[in-house]
Amino acid sequence: MTVVLVIVGVIVALVLIAVVVAAVRRRRTPDGVATFQRQIDALSPEARRPVVDQVQQLEQEDED
Amino acid sequence: MARDLAIDLGTANTLVYMKGRGIVLNEPSVIALNRQTGEVLATGREAWQMIGRTPGYIVAVRPLRGGAITDFEITERMIRLLLQRVGVSRFTRPKVVICVPSAITEVERRAVTDAARRAGAADANLIEQPMAAAIGADLPIDEPVGNMVIDIGGGTSETAVISLGGIVALEAVRVGSFDIDASIQNYVRREHGIAIGERTAEEIKVAIGSADPTEDENQAEVRGRDLMTGLPKTVLLTPEEVRFAIEDVVSSIIASVIRCLAKAPPELSQDFLVRGMYLVGGGGLLRGLASRIQRETKVPVKLSNVPLEAVVLGAGHVIEHYEALKGMFMGARR
Repeated sequence: MTVVLVIVGVIVALVLIAVVVAAVRRRRTPDGVATFQRQIDALSPEARRPVVDQVQQLEQEDED
Repeated sequence: MARDLAIDLGTANTLVYMKGRGIVLNEPSVIALNRQTGEVLATGREAWQMIGRTPGYIVAVRPLRGGAITDFEITERMIRLLLQRVGVSRFTRPKVVICVPSAITEVERRAVTDAARRAGAADANLIEQPMAAAIGADLPIDEPVGNMVIDIGGGTSETAVISLGGIVALEAVRVGSFDIDASIQNYVRREHGIAIGERTAEEIKVAIGSADPTEDENQAEVRGRDLMTGLPKTVLLTPEEVRFAIEDVVSSIIASVIRCLAKAPPELSQDFLVRGMYLVGGGGLLRGLASRIQRETKVPVKLSNVPLEAVVLGAGHVIEHYEALKGMFMGARR
């Protein structure tokens, strides 16, 4: 009886591990749409504001 | 904690952008070495001043030509010294994004990343110069419209069409401002019989060089060594002569721009007529070049407000948004 319970326990544990690993892998796989949207958002004028500010700062320095 | 860096490793100048701080270094890509011991004597501006003026045992060299590493060991030492100057030590190893010409080979790519890693970078990724330039020049590359960038560097000239964060068409030639300097050197030697150094040739280009006739043109006095007598000699050089001397290089750059225009999809081509093309890179500062390209392509050409810094500012933006933009690295899209 104990042996059967141990085997069942091991199988359940293995299945749980497999499910967790699969879930983690799925989460790691980049979602194309989301990745592309993140990239486009990071290239938006709002995201690039600090770069534009630096351009203006460099222009100001050149004028001075 | 290391601050991540973006490096524009150019044939002429090296610029470094530090995450959160902006451009922290802008120096000529030159290193001066003791030929006998191999010891580094100077880098950057200090080494640039030594070009052509060193005693026999000192050599001042540009380890990059045509955007590619010509001497791996010296490039690695130069990068290591530059990184040290911006505070990188063996305990603070930053992530580094390096801007390179889009036309470099797989071997050249590996040479650049290996040089950066050995010089102290924890991770080194590459980004194409025209893409970085488009980001730095503040073009709306996040929109589905055609943005055209012409980046004329020291050793390469690249034209790219960019839309929706990606390169749509690209044309590159291994010709740049150093070839303009070399053409002036050759012309003065051939037509006036005097030898001049590369720094003098560059000064002539800056003083009277142009790709198209401009207002207020003046002659320039050129001093060099008479090839016949070996004595110092002065000659007068006109802007027309300089235009004639550099014509082949200028034509080659314009031909590559036209080839890129021809490669662009028709839907994007119409955008260029309205939005124009953007000129970046030190070579873009050649007088009359924008008007000459505009005349030959019939497309408006605008010079970027920061032609020399656009590339490193673009790469700096990538390092600021590393996770979101790491898909733009060379090799990441394969």
